[in-house]
Amino acid sequence: MTRLHGVLLLAVLASALYLVYVQYESRRLFAEIDQARTQARKLELENERLQVEKRAQATPLRVERLARDQLQMRVATPAITHYVSGGALAGGVP
Amino acid sequence: MNGRSILYTSSPLLASPTPLWRSKLIVLAIAMAFGALAARAAYIQVLSNDFYQRQGEVRFARTLELPANRGRILDRNGLILASSVPATSIWAIPEDMERQPSELKRLAQLLDMPMAELDKKIQDEDKTFVWLKRQVDESVAKDIAALGLRGVYQRKEYKRQYPEGEAAAHVVGFANVENNGQEGIELSFNQSLAGRAGSRRVIKDRLGNVVEAVGEEVPPVDGRDLQLSIDSKVQFFAYQQLRDAVLEHKAKAGSVVVLDALSGEVLALANYPSYSPAKRQNLSGAQLRNRALTDTFEPGSTMKPFIAALALEKGLVTPTSTIQTAPGRMTVGGSTISDAHPHGVLTINEIIQKSSNVGTVKMAMQMQPREMWEMYSQVGFGQKPQLPFPGAVSGRLRAFKGWRPIEQATMSYGYGLSASLFQLAHAYSVFARDGELLPVTLLKAPQASVAGVRVMQARHANAVRSMLHLAAGPGGTAPKAQTMGYSVGGKTGTAHKQEGRGYADKKYRGFFVGIAPIEQPRIVVAVMIDEPSGGKYFGGDVAAPVFSQTVQQTLRLLGIAPDVAVKPQIVAKAEEESF
Repeated sequence: MTRLHGVLLLAVLASALYLVYVQYESRRLFAEIDQARTQARKLELENERLQVEKRAQATPLRVERLARDQLQMRVATPAITHYVSGGALAGGVP
Repeated sequence: MNGRSILYTSSPLLASPTPLWRSKLIVLAIAMAFGALAARAAYIQVLSNDFYQRQGEVRFARTLELPANRGRILDRNGLILASSVPATSIWAIPEDMERQPSELKRLAQLLDMPMAELDKKIQDEDKTFVWLKRQVDESVAKDIAALGLRGVYQRKEYKRQYPEGEAAAHVVGFANVENNGQEGIELSFNQSLAGRAGSRRVIKDRLGNVVEAVGEEVPPVDGRDLQLSIDSKVQFFAYQQLRDAVLEHKAKAGSVVVLDALSGEVLALANYPSYSPAKRQNLSGAQLRNRALTDTFEPGSTMKPFIAALALEKGLVTPTSTIQTAPGRMTVGGSTISDAHPHGVLTINEIIQKSSNVGTVKMAMQMQPREMWEMYSQVGFGQKPQLPFPGAVSGRLRAFKGWRPIEQATMSYGYGLSASLFQLAHAYSVFARDGELLPVTLLKAPQASVAGVRVMQARHANAVRSMLHLAAGPGGTAPKAQTMGYSVGGKTGTAHKQEGRGYADKKYRGFFVGIAPIEQPRIVVAVMIDEPSGGKYFGGDVAAPVFSQTVQQTLRLLGIAPDVAVKPQIVAKAEEESF
C-alpha cells in the first residue's frame, strides 16, 4: 500500500514538473510566433511602401520628362505611326 | 500517583498540574489563527475574487490594437493613386529632455524645422507629451533614433501617399494625418476605405514580450481597395494640356472632363490650379476646388445642339431646312438678340456650324417652354450628377412655368441657366450614344458598355452629331478642335462671366464640348478655360486646342485606330527596294 502511494506521489510530482515545462515551452513558442507575425506585418508594410515608391518613380510626369529630356523622344502622332491590322503577317516591309 | 505522600525528590511546585484551560486556550488560539487564514483565503478566493483577478490582469494583460490598413485607391489599370505606408512620428516629453544646444540644433536640422519652432514646442516643461513632427521619412527617423536623445520618442503611424501628385489631386482628394478622408474620393468613400481596427488581449512578461493570448482575437478588417474609372495616363495628359493652356492664355483657371462614351466611366477629370496632396500647407480654396463639378456657369452656345435636336425630334425642321437669319438680329419681347456676324439664309446644319443665335432662337420660339425644359432636364441640367462626390452641384434650371418669351429665347442659346462642366460633358453623351443618356460613374464599370436612357431618336442624335462635326470643321467655329488622324465634332461656347447681378465686362469663359471619333464615338471631352486674359478668349481659340490634344492622346492610349487618313511623316526610312 505505502509503496503504491510512493509511486503515485512520484508520478504526481513528475507530471506537475512536466506541466511546468510544457507551459514554459508553449509560452516560448507563442512568443516566437508572435515575433514572426510582427515581422510578417513589417515586411508587408515595407512591401507596400516599396510598391508606392516604385509607382512614384514611374508616374507619367516623370516618364514624360525623362523621355523628352534624356532620351529625346517625342509624343507619337498618327502621322508617325504605322498601323498594322491584327491579322497582318510578319515579314512585310512597311 | 499523587497520593498524600510527599516525595522530597520532587518539588511540589513542579508537581502541580497544569490547568487544562491553558492548553485549551493555546489550541483555541491556534485554531483561530487557522480560522482567520481560512476566512482570509475564502475572502480572497471567493468573495472578492473578481477584484483581485482584475488587479492581476491589469498588471500583466494588455489589449493590443490591431490597426486596419486603409484601402488603396487604384486607377482603372490597377496603378496606385493613393496608398498608406508606415511613417514615423516623433514626440517628446519636454520635462525629461536634456537641453544641450548642440543636440537640439541637430534635432531641429533633422526635423527640418527652425530652431525657434522647436524651442517653442518644448518650452513648457510641465507637458508630458508633445508631437515634434508627424510622419517623417524613414531615413530621418533612423537618424533621430541614432542621436539617442533622452525624452524623444518615436511612434509608428500610417501616412497616405499620392504618387500621381497634383494631376489627380481633385479626384482622389486626400486624407489627414489621422487617416480620415478630407476631400474627393478619400472623403466620399472614407468608410469603406478605412476598415475597422481589431484587437486582442495578451499576457506580457516583465520584459514586455507577449507570452500568451487570452480570449478571442478580434481580427482587423482592412479597408477595401477602390478601383476608379480614371486612367492615370489620360488624366495626366489632360491635366498637362490644361495647365499649359491656362498658363499660355493667362487664365485664372480651367477644367477638363473626359468621359468614356461606351461605359459612362470618367476617364479623366482635371482642374487647374491644383495642389500637391503631399504638401498641404497654405492651400487656398481656389486650388482645392474641383471646378469641373462645383463651379457652374452659363453654358452659352453649347446648348444650341439640344435645341436643334429638339426641333428635329418635334418634326419642326430637317437638317437641311432653311431659316432666314438676316440681318443678324431680332427682337423678342423688347430685347434684341444678335449674331456676332450677320448671316443670310442658313440651313439647320449651318446654324449649328456657325453658331447663329438668331437661327437658334427662331427654332426655339416654335416650341413650348415645357418641351425645352423637358429636353434640358432629361439630359441632366438642373440635376445633380449621380456621382459619389462631395460638393457636386446641380446647376440652375428654372421651372418652365415662369419663363417669359425673352427668357425662353436666351435659354435656347444657353443664357439664364447654369451647369457645371461635368454636366455639360454628360449631356453631350446623348449625341455620342445615338440619343441615349449614359449613367456616369467614377468607379471602374464591370462591363465595357452600358445601356442608357433614351432621350431622342438615334437618327436625330446622328444628325446633330454631323452638325457638331461641321462646327469643328472648316467654316465652323472651332477648326482648332480638329486633331490629326481622328474625326471630331463639338461645339464651342464663350460666355460673359456673371458678376453680381450683371455681366462682367471683358471677363469671359471659353469652353468646348466635343465627341470623337465622330462615326463611332468613344469619348466625350469637355474643356473650360476661365478668364483667359492673353488676348484670345473665344472657346474655339482657348479651349478647342486642349480638346484636340486630349482627344489625340486619349484615343491613342485607348488603342483606337485613326479613322481619318493621315499623310504619313515617318522619319525613319523604310528599307529601299533594290531594282
